[in-house]
Order: sequence, then C-alpha cells, then structure tokens
Amino acid sequence: MKFHRLVLFALCVGLLNGVLLCAQEAPAQQGRVFVTAVPTSTVVVAPGGRAPVQFTFRVQSPYHINSNQPTAEELIPTQLHFSLPGEVAIGKMQYPAGQLMSFPFDPNTKLSVYSGDVVIRGVVVAPTQASTGTFTIHGELRYQACDNNACYPPKKLPFTFNVKVGTRGKAAPKARPTATSPHIHN
Amino acid sequence: MDRRVILVLSFVLAITGLLMAMQAISHRSSVVNLNAALESPNQQAGPKRSAESPAPDPVEPSKGSLAPDFTLKSLPDGKEVRLSSLRGKAVVVNFWATWCEPCKIEMPSLVDLQKKYGPQGLQIVGVAMDDAEDKEITGFARKMGVNYIVLKGTEKVGDLYGGIDRLPLTYYLDRSGKVVDETVGLAGESVIEDAIKKALEQGN
Repeated sequence: MKFHRLVLFALCVGLLNGVLLCAQEAPAQQGRVFVTAVPTSTVVVAPGGRAPVQFTFRVQSPYHINSNQPTAEELIPTQLHFSLPGEVAIGKMQYPAGQLMSFPFDPNTKLSVYSGDVVIRGVVVAPTQASTGTFTIHGELRYQACDNNACYPPKKLPFTFNVKVGTRGKAAPKARPTATSPHIHN
Repeated sequence: MDRRVILVLSFVLAITGLLMAMQAISHRSSVVNLNAALESPNQQAGPKRSAESPAPDPVEPSKGSLAPDFTLKSLPDGKEVRLSSLRGKAVVVNFWATWCEPCKIEMPSLVDLQKKYGPQGLQIVGVAMDDAEDKEITGFARKMGVNYIVLKGTEKVGDLYGGIDRLPLTYYLDRSGKVVDETVGLAGESVIEDAIKKALEQGN
C-alpha cells in the first residue's frame, strides 16, 4: 500500500511539473506576431555559378506591412538585409509589387502594402574561387506593420538559410565545419 | 502488475514531466531573450534609450493618476519642455511617428481642436516617437500644418507611458496633470473632442 502511494506521488509530481510549467510558458508567447519566416530550402550553387533563391514571409492577419516601395517617403519600406560569409554573394533582390489598398483610417488614400504571403526572390552567386562547403547565411527582414487602426514600431525578423557550395548532386566535403555568417548588427 | 514494472513506469513518467518542465523553462528563456534582442535599441528602430538610465517597468498610466512627468526637446527650436510646466492647462499628449499613417490622419483634427480650445486653456503636445532626423520631423509637422508643441520622444519617456507599442496613443490630462482619458489607435474627431472637454472641465 505504501509502495503504491509512493508511485502515485512520483507520478503526480512529474506530471504536475510538466503541466504547470508548460502552462506558465504560454503567456510569454502572447506578444504580437506580425510576420513569420517560412524556412528557405538549402541553395546549391557551384563555384563560379548562380542559383535562384526565394524567401517567403507570412504577414499575419489582421496586419499589413509596407511594400518595398511605399507610396510616401516617410513610410518605412520592407527590406531584406544579409550578413554574408564572403564565400557567396546575393544578387539584387526582386521584391513583389505591393497591393494598393485603402484602409478604414483613410479610405481616400491608397497605400502600397504586403499582406498574406510575401515572396522575395534573389540570386545566390558563388565566386569561382569560393571554397566548397555549407554556409549558413544570416538574414533579416526589416518591416513596419500596421492594422486598420494603429501602427507598430519597426521590427527586424532574423532568419537563416543554408548555401551549399559544390557541384549539384555532389555533397560538400563533410570534414569542413559549417561556416556561419556573422550576425547582423546595426 | 509487477512492482518493478510499475516503479519503472512511474519513474519514466516522472522524468518525462521533469524534462517537459526543463524544456519549457529553456524555451521560455530563449523567447524572452529573443524578445529582449528584438526590443533592444539595436534591433528595433525608435527613439534611443540612454545607456546610463535603466529602463523602468513599462506601466501605462491609469485614469485618475498623475501623468508621468518628462522633459523633452521641442522642435524646431530645441528648447526643453517639461510636461509639469503646463499645469493649469488641459494637456493632450499625443504619441505619434512620421511613419504612422493613422497618426497622420489624426493630425488635422488635433490642429482644429488646438485652434478651437486653445483660448480655453488647451495645449496639445505631439511626442514624435521615431528615429527620423529633427529636420524631417519638423518638415513633416510643418507640412501637416501642426500648430501645437512638437517634442522629440525618447524610449525612456515611452516606457513611462507603458512602452508605446502602438501608435497613435493619446493621453488627456486635466489642469492638475491627472489622466482623464486615453485613446489607443486612431480616434475620431468627436471622440478626441469629448475627451478634451472632459480634460478642460476637470482639475480646476
């Protein structure tokens, strides 16, 4: 009898720990999320070659963010910034055209915005002398979100993706440790 | 069931619970760190916090409480303006930014109301919460025909008013400096006017 009580006590303590602490975790994640990054597939590029890359970001409802070319100069454009390891470069980004939309706060003015999924395209370029291997590139999406009633301070969304420099279909040397681009600082 | 089996099972469950707890703590800590990084002056554009002044806990002033006092640089003249020096007047503290479209929409109403209620003792104070150059803020305010005080906000002052996580954000203070009303986000002119009337009537 004593043994069973001990077992029951151990079970309760273990489960309660998990449940209570998981419950405590929830409020910490309740901050507003305006944009999330969809993971980018590894880009394979040969030395001296180019490979397309696309980045997808999801603007959460009910928010919108300015497009890359907002309609007024004081509005903050959405931009991608990268910190590159030197082994690869990224060609000029192609931002999608913004949707011209008017909002309840000013039905007479159309603003160029992104909402829903935003796909930004670019090209990864590896110089001829680039070392082979897999490189983790650190990027950052800079944006400023609003909803129908208010605007929120400009934000930076960090993300990473991998670039494998090597022959397509041929794995990069395993002995080389993964190189990482330095983090972005402003 | 064999006692040993029960013992092993209960041990496994207890360990699972503890692992979940540890994971929860670790995840929460990383979320907090990430949030802190994103909210830091390096990660979030906005008025800079001075290095030597620790951030107070951002708590919004509540109705009936004395509005937190601050001293900020006015634009374009660069003179320092202390909020409490405006006691005796009804004060509207309007936090805004040049990149905030709803703030821009509110401005003509604020201009009209300053004109209408200024002689009765209203003073509107626009606190610009952005990183734009002084001349850009001044130019923007001029373009909008602003006829009230414009101050360059700081993150420290933002924290005194709850962190200012969205704009526009407006506090209406009576003549004794107490908060009588607050509007978050774009407010219609009639809503602003009602709050102004309340501020003018109280705290005499």
